[in-house]
Amino acid sequence: MDLFFQQLLNGLSNGSVYSLVALGLTMVFGILHVPNFAQGAFYMIGAYVTLTVMTLFGIPYWIAMFISMLAIAFLAVLSERIIFHPLRKAEALHQMMGAIGILLFLVAFAQVIWGPNYQQMSSPYGNAIGLFGITVTQQRLIVIVATVIIMLILHLFLTRTMIGAAIVAMAQNREGAYLVGINANMVAMLTFAISGILAAAAATLASPINLVFPGMGDLVIMKAFVIIIIGGMGSIPGAIIAGYILGIVESFGATYISGDYKDIIAFVLLVIILSVKPTGLFPGRVN
Amino acid sequence: MSQLKLQISNLEVKYGPFTALKEINMDVGHGELVVLLGANGAGKSTIFRAISGLNKPSNGDIRFLDKKVSGISPDKLVKLGIIQCPEGRSLFPEMSVYENLQMGGYVHRKNKAEIKKSTEHVYELFPILAEKKDNAAGSLSGGQQQMLAIGRALMAKPKLLLLDEPSLGLAPLIVKQMFEIIQQINQEGTTILLAEQNASAALKIADRGYVIENGRIVVKGTSSELFNNEEIRKAYIGA
Repeated sequence: MDLFFQQLLNGLSNGSVYSLVALGLTMVFGILHVPNFAQGAFYMIGAYVTLTVMTLFGIPYWIAMFISMLAIAFLAVLSERIIFHPLRKAEALHQMMGAIGILLFLVAFAQVIWGPNYQQMSSPYGNAIGLFGITVTQQRLIVIVATVIIMLILHLFLTRTMIGAAIVAMAQNREGAYLVGINANMVAMLTFAISGILAAAAATLASPINLVFPGMGDLVIMKAFVIIIIGGMGSIPGAIIAGYILGIVESFGATYISGDYKDIIAFVLLVIILSVKPTGLFPGRVN
Repeated sequence: MSQLKLQISNLEVKYGPFTALKEINMDVGHGELVVLLGANGAGKSTIFRAISGLNKPSNGDIRFLDKKVSGISPDKLVKLGIIQCPEGRSLFPEMSVYENLQMGGYVHRKNKAEIKKSTEHVYELFPILAEKKDNAAGSLSGGQQQMLAIGRALMAKPKLLLLDEPSLGLAPLIVKQMFEIIQQINQEGTTILLAEQNASAALKIADRGYVIENGRIVVKGTSSELFNNEEIRKAYIGA
């Protein structure tokens, strides 16, 4: 039974990271209809920024995370302005190519600046603690708690502020949003900024558990796409719930079936869920 | 003639190689209620979309309050006071009635007192919206959604209100109410350009009208001139 709870906790912490990345992805897709493959690269660069700020300047973990969030928000907005904005009226395929271009560029950029090696990020929460009879690393608890807080802040922003409501309005009816005077450029930049912030937060939370390397975002973005397809393209609750489902199923699969198949589980889950419910769990509004 | 508010000259809009509008010349005076009559696909909505900046004209000129506005982005036009209530309503389906109205006042969001006053005014015009203020917009009936769409447009305090087929798909009794309220909004001082297929009802409340066919204005005149025009009676009034 201890193993069960141990794996549940691991699943929840992995699921938290997936949910954060998928949230950014689903918002950008739901509102701007851009399949942003570069989100995984934002995630990777986010980890490197945190790591660099911590090791080079000795800045504490949480402040480093905040700096990384700002940096990646800027990077995301920059990508929107330089690549996606000029392509906004082009075919979907062009935007996809643009996104993959950013991804390849950033991965190569990371290799040049930080090298191809695996690096470790130390967090102040490396200790293991006993909790209800099971042993967990503090970092995993931090991941879960911090994710919930970030999601709450995002929720409050989207529901309690006019600027947040403008983003929601754009997702629900693009033309309606134009006709009440919402500035489409503002919403596009803000949505990308949020997706960047979420990616940087997810990477900073996950890196002390995993490792930092140029390819670290590749599998995460693949899984994030699986998550938003399972959750319903463009659906925010769908992305959160499907993220946690994937984290937990992976964790149990690795324990009770075989650790070798951990990364296949996402795609098996995708096939199973889509054959039962082709629109995903929470059909989004994007068509 | 009263002071000109909207002036469209020689407007042309193309969808790819297809010319949707050609040589459109129209004007709307201060405080007027002008109706744009035409069948489905004649180009009424295209004119509205061009005025609101949703479609870029390939030629011609749109002026509002003596300022060139063609080519300006939709959100800036809303700030200038050109508010469209589009065909199909374009509501935010998962937001409540109240939230939809608040979004309607988006450009005046800093002025909370003003927004509150406008909200109450809309509730006075459409009491049903006050009753349903916490319901999701998507759950309303067609007539209620149309009222909400007009209410949302009023929240932006239009200097020029563009109403695109507000009677479309509504029950006859509701249509009658709708036209009464449109007339009331106009009498309260809002300049209105109304696109309609329901010519007899629209001409009753309008000052002047234009008739559009295949992307061109074919007839224009005062409401009574149009009402007594044989061909228009045959084509649009059916009596």
